[in-house]
Amino acid sequence: MFGAALALSALVSCTNNPYPETDDGRRVLYTSFSEAPKSLDPAVAYDTAAHEITGQVHDTLLEYHYLQRPYSLIPGLATRVPKGEAQTDGSVLYSFELRAGALFQDDPCFELGGAGRRTREVSAEDVAFELMRIADPVVNSPVIDPFSNLSGFAEFSARLSQLMKRDPGFKRLPARERYRRALPLPGVRVVDATHLELSLKSPYPQILYWFAMPFTTPVPWEAVEFYNGQNGHPHLADHPVASGPFLLSQYDKQSRMVLDRNPNWYGAKHPEWRAPGATYPSEGEPKDVADGRLAAAGKALPLLDRVDFRREKEAIPAFTKFLEGYYDTSGIIRESFDKMVKDERLSPEMQALGMRLDKSVIAAIYYIGFNMDDAVVGSKAGERSKKLRQAMSLAVDVREYTRLFMNRRGVPAESVLPPGIFGYEAEYENPYRHVDLGRAKALLTEAGLDNGIDPKTNKPLHLTFDTPDTSPDGRLRYQFFVNAWRQLGIDVEIAATNYNKFQEKVHDGAYQIFLWGWVADYPDAENFLFLLTSDMARTKNNGPNTANFSDPEFDRLFLAMKARENDPERLEIIRKMRSIIEDQCPWIELYHPEDYALLHSWVHNVKSAGLSVPTLKYQDLDPTVRREKRAEWNKPVVWPAYALGVLLALVIVPGVMTFFRERQ
Amino acid sequence: MLAYIVRRTAYGVLVVLGVLFFLFALFFLVTKPDDIARKAIGDKAMPAVIAQWKKNHGYDRPLWPGPGHVQDNMLVEHYRRMLTFDFGRSDADDTIILDRIKKGAGPSISLTLPEFAFGVLLGIGFSLFVAFFRETYIDRSTVVLSVLGMSVSALLYIIGGQYLIGKLLRWFPISGFDPSWAVRARFLALPIVVGVAASLGSSVRFYRTVFIEEIYKDYVRTARAKGAGEVRIMTRHVLQNAMIPILTSIVTEIPFLLMGSLLLEASFGIPGLGSLTVDAITGNDFATLRTMVYIGSLFFVVGQILTDISYTIADPRIRLD
Repeated sequence: MFGAALALSALVSCTNNPYPETDDGRRVLYTSFSEAPKSLDPAVAYDTAAHEITGQVHDTLLEYHYLQRPYSLIPGLATRVPKGEAQTDGSVLYSFELRAGALFQDDPCFELGGAGRRTREVSAEDVAFELMRIADPVVNSPVIDPFSNLSGFAEFSARLSQLMKRDPGFKRLPARERYRRALPLPGVRVVDATHLELSLKSPYPQILYWFAMPFTTPVPWEAVEFYNGQNGHPHLADHPVASGPFLLSQYDKQSRMVLDRNPNWYGAKHPEWRAPGATYPSEGEPKDVADGRLAAAGKALPLLDRVDFRREKEAIPAFTKFLEGYYDTSGIIRESFDKMVKDERLSPEMQALGMRLDKSVIAAIYYIGFNMDDAVVGSKAGERSKKLRQAMSLAVDVREYTRLFMNRRGVPAESVLPPGIFGYEAEYENPYRHVDLGRAKALLTEAGLDNGIDPKTNKPLHLTFDTPDTSPDGRLRYQFFVNAWRQLGIDVEIAATNYNKFQEKVHDGAYQIFLWGWVADYPDAENFLFLLTSDMARTKNNGPNTANFSDPEFDRLFLAMKARENDPERLEIIRKMRSIIEDQCPWIELYHPEDYALLHSWVHNVKSAGLSVPTLKYQDLDPTVRREKRAEWNKPVVWPAYALGVLLALVIVPGVMTFFRERQ
Repeated sequence: MLAYIVRRTAYGVLVVLGVLFFLFALFFLVTKPDDIARKAIGDKAMPAVIAQWKKNHGYDRPLWPGPGHVQDNMLVEHYRRMLTFDFGRSDADDTIILDRIKKGAGPSISLTLPEFAFGVLLGIGFSLFVAFFRETYIDRSTVVLSVLGMSVSALLYIIGGQYLIGKLLRWFPISGFDPSWAVRARFLALPIVVGVAASLGSSVRFYRTVFIEEIYKDYVRTARAKGAGEVRIMTRHVLQNAMIPILTSIVTEIPFLLMGSLLLEASFGIPGLGSLTVDAITGNDFATLRTMVYIGSLFFVVGQILTDISYTIADPRIRLD
């Protein structure tokens, strides 16, 4: 075995460098991915893995400011962030002005518009076309709901369905032709090549956030027609044609994805525009100055030449390569957490290697929910169940939970809203989210459940904790909560089933307690608080309000909050909604997860977003320092090969000699 | 022989049909079309989107034939697609499965072929060597080491190899793949070494037994009495006569070389067909999984027939009737 290893080692010049040496001097950021994107079609791609690519290659009309928090929108492909204009009929108009002269990346698909054409200008028609694709049942976009507020959007989608049903050949027509036949779509009006007007039936200021996501990026009709999976052409889901700062130059889902600078990007073609989305920001949080993130202020973007994503299915090899310097950034694997982090700071050992630790709170919440339709824990039991829920909340020590199961990578949640979202108040303390067993027991007594004993049965109150997680690790996690409630005398049984069975239980309303999480689509309180509105109730309306919480006052406040921009009045409404949730306790808010990223000394300008937003165009690295560190850290150790060879000879030679001597 | 091949092929067809049935039944015993849809488009997808996805992918039909849907059901469609080699698109990401198989075959072969060749050559070489030195401490210690080697899980070889050769000695990259041949060799070296090491124990033990059994046969004694040298006896006589059991174990494996190695590819990040199969299992990608299982069962049948034919080549006395 070692002989073969030695021979092979000599053959391939014995190095653990996984990259061609020609890339050593270039600004190539090496990073890894474990799950390949399911689809790169911007109307469909909804997972983080896909957004890692679509976010970099597709330019959006609006973007998030890279450094400022709370998150704020800046112009991207649009020249400004539009304001909603209220109309007399109650509708709201948004006018987008696109940058004139922005081009798509070069691609053969543009020959459909004329022989020899390799690109063309981005037009408002391309944004309208993409919005129509979202409505298209054939595309099956998962974000059709948020756009239903566009005037005529649902009707346009229904007409497409009807036309398809009426004529089987309709589906085979080019998308542009199908959409032309299904018009009108009064909510989307192309004024001219650079002006697009959107009309919403009712106020929905959050619509702007959807224009900072790849769903609404301009998509050329040529790409949809050309990349149809026929005549040897790939599917659009595997071949994005876009206008962003990078283009996807290599795409092998199984092993590698490569992003190269897009020479046609408006930032590259027109650096003189100093467009906000094409220039490194000069303002940020105070922490950004201290961390050196403003050193690149004013530089033209992107700063990297290339981003090379290598597939790593297993976490340990990927992390090892990071420690060898072959990946520039990394998360922290559980097995090495204690070595990397001491007292929530980077360990001295890693600091000595020049590494940095970047922490960010993800715009998400994990919570335990009560099914409010349930006869025991739900609202039907009135004050009794409310006090039961409050008592159960007071028994859950989330700090201990994050310590035991998450290496403390979670901020204990006091309310539904995570840090960085308008409405989050760091000083707010939820009176039911601190461990107080005495008060919890008193509440149980008030609820007629003295020491957790159900007077009907004279036994401890029996509840079920329904979960779709049947793993041993999941069992331990759920047992933590069960143990907490046992301190109150309540007997909670874990009912672990597979995901499908769990969904059936949820659909039928046959569940009591569950653990769930929500990751924000965009940084607005509406994207969290809607999870508790009556319209979104899971059992009645198949919505994401799995707690089936329903409170008319909460619903009324939600509608008022949803229609407002971020202002003091909105904050006041959010506070009122928070106090309703605090009192009714449909959720036990657990934590907002934290992302810990490790960065090598040669990587610059990294700031975790906490949201799935593109950041690679802002990042930079120093290839010279990287080359030196890699060489220093990766000298092969060859003496064991020689030692092994000698050892083998010492063992075998005497045996062979003895054998032949005896035979003779 | 032709009649024999036809008969074995007919048995093989039955085996393949049975495999397809059990795959379908077992898969849908534990997985529902909703699970496949959710894996493909995400948990956040609304029920209407899931329903549309199922319709687009043909998972909205009944699973089994029944009144009113004797033809239009998932089982019949499953057989129709497989038997016409119309593999379709992946459930996970809508890519054309045949394209992915074509793309994955290269990396798989570049791993399995050298691993297989090195494994066979080293296995036979070592076995001849220890059989030559039979009943010496070289033989006995090799047997002990072989049994130890057989007893260790393949996963331990992988982790140990990555830790020792990749991390501590830094001879090769710990995992990964590159299509360019210059860099590809670097990536393949470690999984080949690990794969060969993991298989060496059992193959050396098996081949050694075969060789030693041959060594004590009369024709060897006759050859020795006629003055043939030990090396000539081992390489010319013993090796040739021991080929039937060796061929049995080798030829069956050859068709599977194309299928890749599930464990090695998944652990070393090699984008071959083994990796594709693991992805299909973890991703509830029924369309890809059934294709890989179908191809695997076809290869199994072909492997069995090839093994039988190879007997007649290795030993002209054998006739297939």
